[in-house]
Amino acid sequence: MLTRTVTVRNALGMHARAAARFVHAAGVYQSHVSVTRADRGDRVVDGKSILGLLLLAAARGAVIRITADGADEAEAIVALCRLVDTGFGEEP
Amino acid sequence: MISVTGIAVSPGVAWGPAALMLQRHPAMRYAIAPGYVELEVARLESAREISAAQLRGIHARVSQRAGADLASLFEAQLLILDDQLLVPRARDIITSDHVNAEWALDRAFEQFCAVFADVGDDYLRDRSGDVADVVGRLRQNLLPAAVRGGRVLADLDAPAILVSDELAPSFAAQLDPALILGLALETGSRTHHSAILARSLGLPAVAGAAGVTRHIRPGTLVMVDGDRGEVVIDPTPEIIDRARARRERRHSITIAGGPAEHGPAATADGVAIAFQANVERPDEIDGVRAAGAEGIGLFRSEFLLGRRAIGEFDEESQYRVYRDLVERMAPLPVTIRTFDVDESQASGTLEASPRVGAREPAASLSRGPLGLRAIRLSLGHRALFETQLRALARAGRHGAVRVLLPFVSSVDELREARVALACATRGMSSGGREATPMPVGIMIEVPSAALTVDLLAVEADFFSIGTNDLIQYCLAVDRTDGRVAELFDPLHPAILRLIRQVIRMAGRRGRSVSLCGEMAADPGALLLLLGLGVTEFSMSPAAIPEARRLVRQVTMAEVRRAAARAVGLPTSRDITAMLAARFPAFAFRRPEADRREPMEDGR
Repeated sequence: MLTRTVTVRNALGMHARAAARFVHAAGVYQSHVSVTRADRGDRVVDGKSILGLLLLAAARGAVIRITADGADEAEAIVALCRLVDTGFGEEP
Repeated sequence: MISVTGIAVSPGVAWGPAALMLQRHPAMRYAIAPGYVELEVARLESAREISAAQLRGIHARVSQRAGADLASLFEAQLLILDDQLLVPRARDIITSDHVNAEWALDRAFEQFCAVFADVGDDYLRDRSGDVADVVGRLRQNLLPAAVRGGRVLADLDAPAILVSDELAPSFAAQLDPALILGLALETGSRTHHSAILARSLGLPAVAGAAGVTRHIRPGTLVMVDGDRGEVVIDPTPEIIDRARARRERRHSITIAGGPAEHGPAATADGVAIAFQANVERPDEIDGVRAAGAEGIGLFRSEFLLGRRAIGEFDEESQYRVYRDLVERMAPLPVTIRTFDVDESQASGTLEASPRVGAREPAASLSRGPLGLRAIRLSLGHRALFETQLRALARAGRHGAVRVLLPFVSSVDELREARVALACATRGMSSGGREATPMPVGIMIEVPSAALTVDLLAVEADFFSIGTNDLIQYCLAVDRTDGRVAELFDPLHPAILRLIRQVIRMAGRRGRSVSLCGEMAADPGALLLLLGLGVTEFSMSPAAIPEARRLVRQVTMAEVRRAAARAVGLPTSRDITAMLAARFPAFAFRRPEADRREPMEDGR
């Protein structure tokens, strides 16, 4: 099991489209992916559920903790952190 | 035979088989017997499948037309549709609590919204809008196929009377006048957009006819009497005969009054009054020409959208529509109002009306008429706004285009819009020479704008008074709420005073003011407006010939005196009585009297 913390950087935060990209990216891997807010709250959501991710209400600047658990957890965590770190491919 | 009384919103009479369309979320919540759980789950599953197919279709169309970025919105909606927290949650609720699918879906959505509301972050709370759209689509697809919104219009193969609980403007814009004979609506009012559209298409319509969707089954013979405000279910042959005679009489009157009404209009003492046309759809241009309008005073660009979201409407397609309008009206001017939509219309997928989903749980999102709409929305979505402005500027090279900004409430918004226009047109050349700047005007429909016309006039090129909204916001009346609709009073002294002030302030700054609301279609109001100094009107083409006739029969001096008297009278009843005494030749009716007044002949 691997855990990493990353900051949401894009202007719109983790909105529906960004969350959709995250779900698609997480879906590539077999590992179980869970996400929680590192800076507040204790809600842990399924990283492959768009509604779960939306419930984190992660606006720009929010710090989220991603956990991957499974055979391909290393690849998964790198890819997902990069996605968030690069602002979901959106304008900063 | 049953007769239901409503409000006459568009004149004429029509009859035919009923096509029933339900747009609103039916308040259907009931418990089910344990034996029906499986059936209810199957219903939910079928709605999910239909929704998925619709979303995949929209996704494919959008990615082709508008690119991957916008299409990803529908990918997100597809994921929401498949998410464990929504449909499977609703399924669990059906199984454990034995409630119907609609109720279970509502509960699942409410649970989701409750968590969001706790978050307290307005910005992210807006995100539940996408979920609301998906829920709205599911609810729509839980309805029996025969009454589902988009499908009813698409499947219509023979002319029919459209019977609906509510007609969103985006749906109204899709009506094919060759297939729709008339409208019978449970909600709405005379000044609702759908009513305005019905009038401009010449479709008889009755709004506020309570319960018609419950009394009428698809295919039943229905008569819509848009003169008396009556919906007659199963009319007798005698009633149809009388209606037919009435219709033929009206037709001959229209033709007799037609051709002589062209050319500039002037009062009996020679003051020129300009009449332009309000236009909803490009295919109305022939009617505009026939009515002798001196240009288009208001083109409501949002009606182009139909069921599409604004982001799906790219620059090139907008440009083609605007250019076509301008060229067909040349050399007459065309005033195009930028999109006047609210959030749901802007982001919605409208195949199932998004308002269905947005209404209840999303009340906290404030999608109402005072929310994020019109210029506010445009300024918040600069890319979309600049796309429209660029399309307008390009069309402006082919004729006289004026840009009209809706719902402006402050000088700041006007300034910001001007900056957007400058950005949008930067680098655009006009075959080597400088393009003539397009005049930019604003709608006066928010009281704050009406009260600061002198300040706005420094930076606006022209004004257009939108009476419907101005009256609604000045009098604080929701015109779509039938229970208070009677308070919507165009002749309220406050309205007359406000309009007088707008005309005076704009006149001092040398800015023209046009009046583009439905108010001017009422003869009494038209006389008062003339007297208050309005010399430019824009109205539905069908109303222009009558207005011209009226203008020619009065002198400026007498209408000025009447207006001066009117602003000092305490109630609109007093004003109507004063008008009736001074102008006995005209029959003045108050709009809400429509339904009660016995009327033997067509107007």
